Amino acid sequence: MGIEEERDDVLLRRAAKGDEDAFTLLYRRHQGALYRYALRMTGAAWSAEEVVQEVFMTLIREPRKFDVERGTVGAFLFGITRNRVMKHLERRPRELPVEDPANDRAGAREPADPVTPAVVAEHQERIERVREAVLGLPAEFREAVVLCELEEMSYEEAARLCGCPIGTIRSRLHRARALLLAKLELLRGTPRQASAGD
Amino acid sequence: MNCEEFELIGLDLNQSGAREEELAAAKEHLRNCAKCAVLVESWEEARAELFLLADRTREAETPARVEMRLRQEFRARRRPKIFQRRPAAAAAAAWALAAAAVLIIGVSWWAWKNSQGIRIANHPVVAQPAPEDTQANEVLLADNDGGAFTLLPGSIVQETENASVMQVRMQRGALGALGLPVDQERVSDWIQVDLLVGEDGIPEAVRLHQDAGQGTLQ
Repeated sequence: MGIEEERDDVLLRRAAKGDEDAFTLLYRRHQGALYRYALRMTGAAWSAEEVVQEVFMTLIREPRKFDVERGTVGAFLFGITRNRVMKHLERRPRELPVEDPANDRAGAREPADPVTPAVVAEHQERIERVREAVLGLPAEFREAVVLCELEEMSYEEAARLCGCPIGTIRSRLHRARALLLAKLELLRGTPRQASAGD
Repeated sequence: MNCEEFELIGLDLNQSGAREEELAAAKEHLRNCAKCAVLVESWEEARAELFLLADRTREAETPARVEMRLRQEFRARRRPKIFQRRPAAAAAAAWALAAAAVLIIGVSWWAWKNSQGIRIANHPVVAQPAPEDTQANEVLLADNDGGAFTLLPGSIVQETENASVMQVRMQRGALGALGLPVDQERVSDWIQVDLLVGEDGIPEAVRLHQDAGQGTLQ
């Protein structure tokens, strides 16, 4: 069996023994998902980059921290990423609203069928509006939206990754949606009373 | 089902994990409640925008430079331990070198000391009280007791392995040219002198013969 087919935990074991190819393959398997999560949570490409780098640095420094009995390598890496993102948000909560979205186009896709410049502009405007609304949510609510709405995970998957009961995810989503709706309508200029928000 | 109960499950009927009867009640409530119908419509619109946002970053990946940095770090960390501990190894090597240098200097000095065929009096030319039978103004003495040489003024004790001893007969006054004080009344006396001549041909020390009388230079 080639290295490409090896399981993550086998790759990690090989990486811990100094196998650079195993480490690189492990990185390539997981970096995308971790980066997108960090990008959607922080709203800044440079922050997401920093977070992913720190996560894999941790893996290089302490590969034996992973315990195969406690879950998958993916979940282990997501756990580290989540902690890093939360720390990052605690450190820089005020920077998010003033972040220039033009700097955060890493991997961004333009509309599939941009008919006219007006359509493109309207499309961009809607994206920026919802982006601003999501980034304006408290971190826990934002995480629920990122995982269940943007990453399209099930409540169960999100709960497992966050290490909390499904009910907590449901409750956070409920409040997050109410807040998000209120923010979006405020940004559109058509305020509506949020019935379940703060 | 009231509006509050509807909001808990109604915005995501497929995902909420609600039971069949709850789903039916939610749908029934939605048909009859204009407020909740508006809420669902608003949420669908918001969800479409969320989808746009998700789509925009769906293929986002970490920049390639991160992989490069990580691989460099990986290589640096996985190098053999002797390189990882470079500062400690360097310190140990420095101490070992210093110890070796001290040892070499010590052994060399000891060897030089032992192999020296000609003993040089380490005491420089000194002023001593004149012996009773010499004149009162005699101040400089050369040791002719036991074959020792007296260093000439300005000479530095050096390796004597390649030095040679020259026996010369000279007038006492010539000692003045070597930097030694000479009694002006005896400058014309002929004396037998051994000169220790260094590798460079320059006299370094002087020894008087027994017959030069009391070992005095003057």
